[in-house]
Amino acid sequence: MALLEVKDVSSGYGYGPDILNRVSLSVESGTAYCIIGPNGAGKSTLLKTVAGLLQPRRGEILFDGQPIGGMRPDLVLATGICYVPQDRSLFPEMTVRENLIMGGFLERDRAVLSDRMEQVFEMFPVLADRASQHAVTMSGGEQQMLALGRALMIQPRVMMIDEPSLGLAPQVADQIFDIIRRLGELQITLLLVEQNVVRGLAATDWSFLLDLGVLRLEAPSDEILDDPRIRELYLGRQLAGSHPPTDQGEES
Amino acid sequence: MTHTIQVVILGLLLGGVYALMASGLTLMFGVMRIVNLAHGAFIVVAAYMAYLLFQGPGWDPFLSLVVIMPAMFLLGVLIYRFLFPPIESSPRFGEMTVLLTFAVALIVEGLLGFFFTGTFRTTDPPYSTEAILIGDLFIPKAQLYASITSLVLLAGLGAFLRLTRTGYAVRATMQNRTAAQIVGVNVRGVSTLSFGIGMALAGASGSLISFLFPFFPNSHWRWIAILLSLIVLGGLGSIKGAVIGALLLAVTAALISDQFGPTWSPMTFFGALFLILLIRPRGLFGQETRV
Amino acid sequence: MTKLEKVDPAGTPTRPTKEAASSRGGYLVVIIVTLFLVLLPLARPLIGQPYNYVLQIGMVGLMWVALASSWNLIGGFTGYISLGHNVFYGIGGYASGLILLYFGLSPLLTFPIAGLIAVVFGFVVGLVTLRTRGPAFIISTIALLLMVGLLFDNWEFAGGSNGLSLPLPPFPLETVKVPFYYAMLVIAIGSVYLGYRVAHSKFGLALRAIAQDETKAEVAGIDTRRMKIAAFSISAFFIAAAGAVWGYSLTYLRPTIFFTIAIAAEMVLMAIIGGRGTVSGPVVGAILLVALNEISVSQFGSNELNIVVTGVMLLVVLMFFPLGVVGTLRERGHLPSFLDWD
Repeated sequence: MALLEVKDVSSGYGYGPDILNRVSLSVESGTAYCIIGPNGAGKSTLLKTVAGLLQPRRGEILFDGQPIGGMRPDLVLATGICYVPQDRSLFPEMTVRENLIMGGFLERDRAVLSDRMEQVFEMFPVLADRASQHAVTMSGGEQQMLALGRALMIQPRVMMIDEPSLGLAPQVADQIFDIIRRLGELQITLLLVEQNVVRGLAATDWSFLLDLGVLRLEAPSDEILDDPRIRELYLGRQLAGSHPPTDQGEES
Repeated sequence: MTHTIQVVILGLLLGGVYALMASGLTLMFGVMRIVNLAHGAFIVVAAYMAYLLFQGPGWDPFLSLVVIMPAMFLLGVLIYRFLFPPIESSPRFGEMTVLLTFAVALIVEGLLGFFFTGTFRTTDPPYSTEAILIGDLFIPKAQLYASITSLVLLAGLGAFLRLTRTGYAVRATMQNRTAAQIVGVNVRGVSTLSFGIGMALAGASGSLISFLFPFFPNSHWRWIAILLSLIVLGGLGSIKGAVIGALLLAVTAALISDQFGPTWSPMTFFGALFLILLIRPRGLFGQETRV
Repeated sequence: MTKLEKVDPAGTPTRPTKEAASSRGGYLVVIIVTLFLVLLPLARPLIGQPYNYVLQIGMVGLMWVALASSWNLIGGFTGYISLGHNVFYGIGGYASGLILLYFGLSPLLTFPIAGLIAVVFGFVVGLVTLRTRGPAFIISTIALLLMVGLLFDNWEFAGGSNGLSLPLPPFPLETVKVPFYYAMLVIAIGSVYLGYRVAHSKFGLALRAIAQDETKAEVAGIDTRRMKIAAFSISAFFIAAAGAVWGYSLTYLRPTIFFTIAIAAEMVLMAIIGGRGTVSGPVVGAILLVALNEISVSQFGSNELNIVVTGVMLLVVLMFFPLGVVGTLRERGHLPSFLDWD
């Protein structure tokens, strides 16, 4: 049985239109996935819907066979799925240490918490150095590490990371992706949204291609780029088999 | 010189009570982005409760605190649950809270007027006319006790926020609601709790007001205008800002009212509001952009 | 907003006949109603004994139409809620009243001047208060109202809290209401027309953009600050004018007549019940509430419960019909064309 199943889910923001359009996919335990697609495809929306920040308007979401669609975000976290948003969503007026403590909010055992914090500091020595520094004063890369470290405090089974390399310089992004690869080695199931396709695919096993709220394609990460349909998609043409464009050119 | 010190002391004492009143208001904004225009009205409700308990069973307003605070807390939980979740996802949430609480304030004022009429009321426990003399300084007992109580309650609030797990959750929600959700804070529960606490603080304030100022149903507009000016000055959502702003403005108002007459006291608050909007719209300790 | 136009082969756009007929019908209704209002005071023999009462009610209704429509410019179109907008009402009342006392000019003639004074005041205030958005702005409007009220309370020159007596209007008793009625009619029509013109202008479009999403509007190049201040100041004109005429009609000026929150609440409520952000909404809201108020006062007498009713109505509308009468009707496609002025 798949660890996480999204079945026929549609969702959107406020009273606006559906951004996700009846998407179905499944996620196996211990695998790293990448979600790629153009802007506005619904990638972040998908993660947010699974995380409970958005209510699905139709369809269901199952984790370990249990329905979690429409659950409150804190209850979703309790099942073991954690979400690292695009803007990192740190607590600006709290220190690194306090942010990490908040990451472990659901864990009530102090001893366990401090153990975990040690582990996070081992994994991210930079954070150990800046433990008493306010989150908002750190660089982009450090903030991203804090966001990841914070997520690890709860020892999640699934980590959904939204555009980890956003706004980061290439070397820093490389560092982050190294870390992400190591996360995969820890048997954490990863669901990555990444605009930088090459990086995203290199770090994952399987990929989903989302476009206009619909799942267009899924394939192993190292094969998906070879698929001819990808080129058509990114060049804006219709994903309609091998029909050559007509003279009237009904372009999107 | 002694006279000035006297005025400053009176200002500080009053400022303590204003700080208590404003803290609940700014807490509600900080956690839930709710501008509660009915806060003043509920302070007056609590004042009437203290009045009834004083007139009836003869309870001292400080004793009434023990009953009024929990009662107001429960009232707050009920009101929050009923009014706010339906509009949570509205794109115009901010102004909706203003209009909603405006409507509530009107309803409360009307009901108070209906039951109690427009007569000015006050409780007059014995200490409301007594004072302590320290050298040349004349310290009214009522203001002193009220101020100490406010301090204790504010310290309690601070301790709650800084030292308890739930307090952390509240602070986290104030700083970044989404982040709080994704680390496992039940923000709906935190919001309800915070609204209840805000109301409880309003309840305590009302009890104290009952013997500090004569009040009638329409009084709340004057209070809410002053309190809102205060929290804008201190920075919307900042409790620290509310306390400091309250003390600063109360002292200034006392000095001004001493020089120019008591009618200019409320003007100090309004004037300060426009000044801060001119110079630093986010207030003393407000955040530049609310994340 | 724009009706679908079928293009006929000759190239001249023609409206589908059904819509053309109903919009013509709408125009007709508006014209007839306006004519009726203009001719009403002349129908004295037909009205008979309740003549003065009818004109009084008419004047009050027209006044609230002006107040609500003007509020709508900043509160509806721009989305900036002002809860102390009647500060202009009082400024207008006092401005014309003082002019009358010291220069002998009738407020029925000087109300435009009162309007202009309020606009200037609004402009200066707006420069400060419109530097903020949302909650801070709303708070500043309440503070402004109370502050100005306090100032007038202490301004001996303007009578302070005891008020100022104005000379009686030089009209015979039987027809004394007539000039006030006409003045208010002019003000009401002016304010609604202003709303109509703003709604159909680029300025109005900019305001709506600000109401939708101010950041996006700024990014799109709209000078939001200038637009907001303009809307805020312009909205003061007819409110002050109405205040000038009203104050004179009472022949007595007192801060409590003008500077109470209850008046601000009524303005807001009327615009919201009628339909915030629409041109006809405030008109509908004003008429509805004035009528309701009259009925309830005559049935139950005037007391504190009136405020409760105002509050409850506002609550109910906000929670269940946030678009107001006109907005909800339009959304469901049932808006009669004589109310469709957007």
